[in-house]
Amino acid sequence: MMADLRITPTPSVASALVRRLRGRRGAALLALTYLLLIVACLVSLVQDGDLSLGRNPWANLLKTAGEFSYPSFLDVWFGDTALEYRSDDGRVLRVENRREVELTYLAGLGRATWVTIVIATLGSLLGALLALPLAMLTAQNLAAPKPLAWLAKGILDVMRSIHTLVFGLVLVGIVGLGPTAGILAIGLHSMGTYGKLFSESIESLDMAAVHAVQSVGAGPLQVFSHAIWPAVLPQFVSSHLYVWEFNIRDSTILGMIGAGGLGLLITEATSLFQWGRLATVLLVVAALVISFDALSRRIRHSLL
Amino acid sequence: MTTPVITLEQLCWRTEGQVRLDIPSLIIHEGERVALIGPNGAGKSSLLRLISGALTPSGGTVTVLQRTLTPENHPRRSLRERRAWAREIGQIFQGLHLVSRLTALDNTLIGALGHVTGWRSWFRIYSATLVKQGQAALQSVGIVQDQDIRVDRLSGGERQKIAIARLLMQHPKLILADEPTAALDPSAAAEVCRLLLHAAQHATLVTVVHNVSLLPLLADRVIGLQHGKIVFDVPIKEVDEHVLHSLYQTRQVSP
Repeated sequence: MMADLRITPTPSVASALVRRLRGRRGAALLALTYLLLIVACLVSLVQDGDLSLGRNPWANLLKTAGEFSYPSFLDVWFGDTALEYRSDDGRVLRVENRREVELTYLAGLGRATWVTIVIATLGSLLGALLALPLAMLTAQNLAAPKPLAWLAKGILDVMRSIHTLVFGLVLVGIVGLGPTAGILAIGLHSMGTYGKLFSESIESLDMAAVHAVQSVGAGPLQVFSHAIWPAVLPQFVSSHLYVWEFNIRDSTILGMIGAGGLGLLITEATSLFQWGRLATVLLVVAALVISFDALSRRIRHSLL
Repeated sequence: MTTPVITLEQLCWRTEGQVRLDIPSLIIHEGERVALIGPNGAGKSSLLRLISGALTPSGGTVTVLQRTLTPENHPRRSLRERRAWAREIGQIFQGLHLVSRLTALDNTLIGALGHVTGWRSWFRIYSATLVKQGQAALQSVGIVQDQDIRVDRLSGGERQKIAIARLLMQHPKLILADEPTAALDPSAAAEVCRLLLHAAQHATLVTVVHNVSLLPLLADRVIGLQHGKIVFDVPIKEVDEHVLHSLYQTRQVSP
């Protein structure tokens, strides 16, 4: 034991590093590249003078946080029933019942929430339906003709790489303001995601069962309904719920570009600096997303 | 002599540059019970797959039920020809090839798909007569209670019985079984063999057998394969310890 201790060289940070990286040149190179990228990003920000927090960040933060901590919906119960708006010389311009105003706002919020759910639900369904035939073409084990498979994969990849908001902006220009643009935007973008998930579940198919059904002399459509569909259905439903969950989140901001739903109320509140109202809207968004996530997770677990 | 069901002539099958099967001539007649035995890699399963049309022969011809496959026409068969070929041949696989998320009855009815056409069959809708036949087929293999249970909840023996019920619905003229009793305990294996023979009453039966103690149950003619060649082809009563020993022994000596 003592002999061992004597021949151990004094440990140094440098030698420890060298020892750890020995034989892992690839990993070291990757880490170094990443480090260089971070440095380059920081340097370019500083050089452009963009690394700043504005003139008085602390005061702004405190003011915003203060208003945020009193969500506007509380006024339905605690608001001033006769809030007087006065001009500079003291004349009363208008008297407002805060409770009624906020109640009206809440009703509008409820409608916007429903529109958001409508957009996410119909958009997801549209995306799933569009993706299904393309997924069958891209799944390698179904062996579709190569050019068709590449075309389908290309379409799915392009759709996935274009953000929902970009689709939304383009579609608002085509079909006009409103939820239709939102539904189409969600459908087109999530089609790419669906396509990938669907084709993966088709690829993990039990081919033995497919061959067995083929071996009795069944035709292609019979093979599809007897061997492929029953095997992939639970996975399809699971993927559908998963993407739907994402789309509930995505559709809450679509309103920002005029495609209907809660996003419109978010833009309205932020551009008028009404942080109390923003707090109310965000609470609804959080409640919606969290409850939908929990529900979809439970259903997905029970499917497996 | 009765008509030949399977005729192989100069059959050769190569893969990865090696000859895996080389059978100058083999004739199997209607109603015969043939067992294929031999060590692992002898080509038993490949021979079965060449007969079922799943593999393309590299040379020679495979004639099954008056239809002939050659290396030239095999890849160019139309879907209709492939279905007609498959319809007449019932197959039992070693891996229990059932659709695991469908019920026992649904899996049994799959056997009828070769004879059933029309859009209803694309949605798994069957006529009442067919459903009755399916229930009867399940009953005849001893599955009475669990007809509406998903097959992935059933035991290996029960699943193999459902595969046999599927065979009954198919009414094939030729049955190819690849180690039908693999992974079954001895009593279940004997039961499955009995049911398989019953299902093959009006058909020709070719079985790949691993467990040689089942030979007397399943076969009246035994073909020994070794390195892709037939080393013996004898009636069951000529198969003894010595014949079996030499078949399996040589493999361990050769590389």
